[in-house]
Amino acid sequence: MHTEFTDQLSDYLDDDLSSVERDTVEQHLRGCAECRAVLNDLKRVVAEAQTLPPRPPQAELWNGIADEIKGTGLGTKGTGVGARHHPTPVPFRLAFTMPQLAAAAVILVAVSAGLAWRIADGAARARSAVIVASGAAQPGDNPGGASAAVPVERDAPLSPSIVQVAYADAQYDAAVADLEKALKLGRGRLDASTIAVVEHNLQIIDHAIAQAREALAADPANSYLSGHLVDARRRKLDLLRRATELTSETD
Amino acid sequence: MALSGETSIQARTGDPDVALAAAGDSSAFERLYRAHVVRIHNLTRRMLGGQEADEVTQDIFVRTWQKLAQFRGESAFSTWLHRLAVNVVIERRRSFAIQRGRMSDDVAALDGLSVAPARADLTVDMEHAIDQLPPGAREIFVLHDVEGYKHREIAVLLDIATGTSKRQLHRARMLLRGYLSGD
Repeated sequence: MHTEFTDQLSDYLDDDLSSVERDTVEQHLRGCAECRAVLNDLKRVVAEAQTLPPRPPQAELWNGIADEIKGTGLGTKGTGVGARHHPTPVPFRLAFTMPQLAAAAVILVAVSAGLAWRIADGAARARSAVIVASGAAQPGDNPGGASAAVPVERDAPLSPSIVQVAYADAQYDAAVADLEKALKLGRGRLDASTIAVVEHNLQIIDHAIAQAREALAADPANSYLSGHLVDARRRKLDLLRRATELTSETD
Repeated sequence: MALSGETSIQARTGDPDVALAAAGDSSAFERLYRAHVVRIHNLTRRMLGGQEADEVTQDIFVRTWQKLAQFRGESAFSTWLHRLAVNVVIERRRSFAIQRGRMSDDVAALDGLSVAPARADLTVDMEHAIDQLPPGAREIFVLHDVEGYKHREIAVLLDIATGTSKRQLHRARMLLRGYLSGD
């Protein structure tokens, strides 16, 4: 490896060399396979860095922030700028209320139920493992709502590592719409804190769905993102289902 | 007729939540948090490592809340927030570096990166590889190659020479190349 040239390869990649320097490097690259290989590796590193998929934080951070900002006296609408004061930031704790922990447990149960789930009579049942994205969102798709990816059943044999993903699954959309309608009708039977927790968790899941869809649009073949999206959609469905069951249990 | 502060910000940014949050609406601020937390957390995690990311992300949003009254809507809220986040991260990095005596432009400090065995899936390893970079190199690599900052911007942010930024970036890329290829 010729370090006098490889040391210039980042500047070459970033177009930060003078025309004379650039010509010299290019002339060398034409005759040096080793330095060409280094350049190709550096291109891969840069490309990887530019396409890193977004990863949401694993913990819910909002509660600690909410606790802090309430301490500033701006926790309620209309307090106004003049009332603002600036306490020294203190170390944060990840705080969860009991209802939130309960909701988290609901979600965990839903997740542990696995990929084998059913939307309607004998319908969509996930079979194989990992997922591959089929492309960009379709027209009319609602980013925060009920039209992201779900696994769909296929009769034809699939690759062991691939499950097809549909972006506009009518059964899923209908199931979510039905559950949302039932929840709306029954919400009067739930106490306010339960409703708040359910709505808060739905917001989180919708946000996760939107983030996963955005990332998948940029990297449609990323199986991690596809799995994340399917998982988030399933969580939404299961959370809606459990919340609706709660309304009927209180009858 | 002059616009009120809230209306003025909304008019300039097109985002009612920014104006509402600036006026003290914590629900609007939570919506802003939900919209931006992933990007901010990714920035902090990649620049500081996973252990610090949660706390620093929270610190960034608390400071954002405290400084929202200073936001004039002259740039996009996301740009303003990102710049604030970068400044908080750099400030935090400096305090770590001073504590640990690692504040140096000396690129020889980059030589300690361990080499991982070669793996086929670069994407899987990339986050881990970035986390393995020495702090100074990681900071510049993330700002330049992940976040898209220019060397001259990084030089101002970090108070270093542009040439130092370029050298550190190249060293970071070469270390990542070696790490990811198993050399």
